[in-house]
Amino acid sequence: MPQETKGQLRPVGVKSVLKRFESILGLIVLLIVASFVCIKNGKNLFLDISNIMNVLRAVSENGIIAAGMTMVILLGGIDLSVGSILGLVGTGTAALMMHNHWGFIPTVLAGLAIGAAYGLFNGIVITKMKMQPFLVTLASMNMARGLARIWSNGAGVPLSYGPGLAPIEFEFLQERLGGVVPVPAILFILIAVIFSVVLKRTAFGRQIYATGGNKRASFLAGIKVGAVTVWVFVLSGVLSALSGMIHAAQVTQGGPNDGIGYELNAVAAVCIGGSSLAGGKGTIFGTVVGAIILGLLDNIMGLNGINSNIQMIVKGLILILAVFMQAERSRD
Amino acid sequence: MKKLCLILALLLALTAVLAACGSKTATAETTTAAAETTAAAAATTAAAGDTTAAAAKKDQYVIGMSQCNLGEPWRVAMNDQIAAAAAKHPEFKVIYSDAAQDNSKQIADIENFIQMGVDLLIASPNEATPLTNVIKKAYEAGIPVILLDRKIDGDTYTQFIGADNVYMGREAGKYVAHTLFPDGANLLEVKGLEGTSGGIDRDKGIAEGIADNAKIKILQKCNADWLREKAITETESMLQANSDVQCIIALNDPMAEGAYTAAKNLGREKDIKFIGFDGLPTPDGGIKSVMDGRLSLTLVYPTGGAEAIQSAYDLLEGGKTLEKTITLGTEIITPDTAAEAYTRYGGK
Repeated sequence: MPQETKGQLRPVGVKSVLKRFESILGLIVLLIVASFVCIKNGKNLFLDISNIMNVLRAVSENGIIAAGMTMVILLGGIDLSVGSILGLVGTGTAALMMHNHWGFIPTVLAGLAIGAAYGLFNGIVITKMKMQPFLVTLASMNMARGLARIWSNGAGVPLSYGPGLAPIEFEFLQERLGGVVPVPAILFILIAVIFSVVLKRTAFGRQIYATGGNKRASFLAGIKVGAVTVWVFVLSGVLSALSGMIHAAQVTQGGPNDGIGYELNAVAAVCIGGSSLAGGKGTIFGTVVGAIILGLLDNIMGLNGINSNIQMIVKGLILILAVFMQAERSRD
Repeated sequence: MKKLCLILALLLALTAVLAACGSKTATAETTTAAAETTAAAAATTAAAGDTTAAAAKKDQYVIGMSQCNLGEPWRVAMNDQIAAAAAKHPEFKVIYSDAAQDNSKQIADIENFIQMGVDLLIASPNEATPLTNVIKKAYEAGIPVILLDRKIDGDTYTQFIGADNVYMGREAGKYVAHTLFPDGANLLEVKGLEGTSGGIDRDKGIAEGIADNAKIKILQKCNADWLREKAITETESMLQANSDVQCIIALNDPMAEGAYTAAKNLGREKDIKFIGFDGLPTPDGGIKSVMDGRLSLTLVYPTGGAEAIQSAYDLLEGGKTLEKTITLGTEIITPDTAAEAYTRYGGK
């Protein structure tokens, strides 16, 4: 039980530790459930290395986008354009490689630059024109989607590798190292570690938390709230672009209609991970856990052949549960 | 503490649901475990999907059905027809998944089926190139693959079942060019999802069908992704841009109905003839649309669901080698033949 001496709150003990790690507790329980429920013919379908790797691969795209979304939500904002940026960059880079015969490095740089440009647009319109992130990113979501369709004339751009086609370095994004570990999963973990450090150990990170917690006070304290906001949206755009290139490699195609609805999956991962949509509270680690929980749910239900409509209901219930836990927390 | 109890309670409920759903297969499978392990061993030593057949007869076969988009009524009918055919084979258990038009989701769905070690995979891929690798993976793992309606790149599948969409497009084009408008007409075309083989084939067929009547012109085409709602908005734009239109040809019935609604919103539905494809014998299907006078023509596009189960039976239990392609027939539905066709196909 927490020890509270007068005038001094020193939370110790099981209850407070559980509170801090609520999302990971959920993950652990889900892992235990998965290990028991997915057994068929005496074979444990879940606790199998290829299955775990499949799940990690499947959550990587959402996870990378969600890492960026965490920072946006920490600011009290939201970025609805991430799915469209994924589609735009996936289509654009595929087109540059297949139609314009660009090499690997110029293509990747161009892809990231497109993401950064959209993020810059979002950030500047939000800060300079003082518009709500929801509206601005809704607008850029539509613009990016339209641009993606124009770029490829509405069709997907299939990727083939080799001389005269797409550079084989790009195919690396589709591979599994040692035949086992998917490259997107490695990138996901790298991004999570990098941005976790950024948020916890740099001044920029502290400024994000401060701005999200209390924008007015942060501004008065000398934090360049506008610059922080712009940078966060740029990062969100860049991460969505990275995810777009990974996605294109994974489905061997740059599709202008890909990524529809991905922004909501990212928000779900961030919220299940414990961030508050009001801002100022949340961690990358929580988001990683949230993304994995979403992937695990799909995996467990898929391996058990659960009707897809019931799957949707279950996911909705789990989201409500996670948000409910969050709300109680902030009441304390 | 209260929160913890709540989490545990909800997760226990989840476990209970999963256990209930999984329990029927669990009890059936523990009793047949012995038979299945020998069959599985024989299956994995066989080369690829085709020859796994008569190794050892099992008491239950699990068939995974990966659907690309249950938002389309035609695909709901496909799943229903598969279920109806499978009901006649009590040893078949079919598990369905829906990717809701997302390539990544369908890849994950098929990976799950591979993980579950299904005896056969029936799939209708959302788009050809994105799904090629994962279906190849299933095929090379020894799981027979039957593709319905949409193909992948290459030939790493056991069988493709579908009607000839080019032929259907040509028939529709010829009907427009020779029967409906022999003196010429302006057309608008509403296409389906870009990367799908059915859409590409029908479009190609229509172009061939109208080729010998130079007075038939396609003024504009749009994409409505096989969806009715999308067809309404897309067609409205096309109608605004083109004032002299006599015919709208949509590559499936829901889109044709959407085009009709769009024309009606602009008060122009009486001046235009509408053509669709699929011809489902359901109350919201194309045959009824022709009976009610909104469409002038549709063509029956069989789903192949029943044929897929028949092939599954032939392969898994009969030990037969399947033909690479089964081409299904079609039937042209005009206002004269609609009512009779509706009852013949089992419409109510």
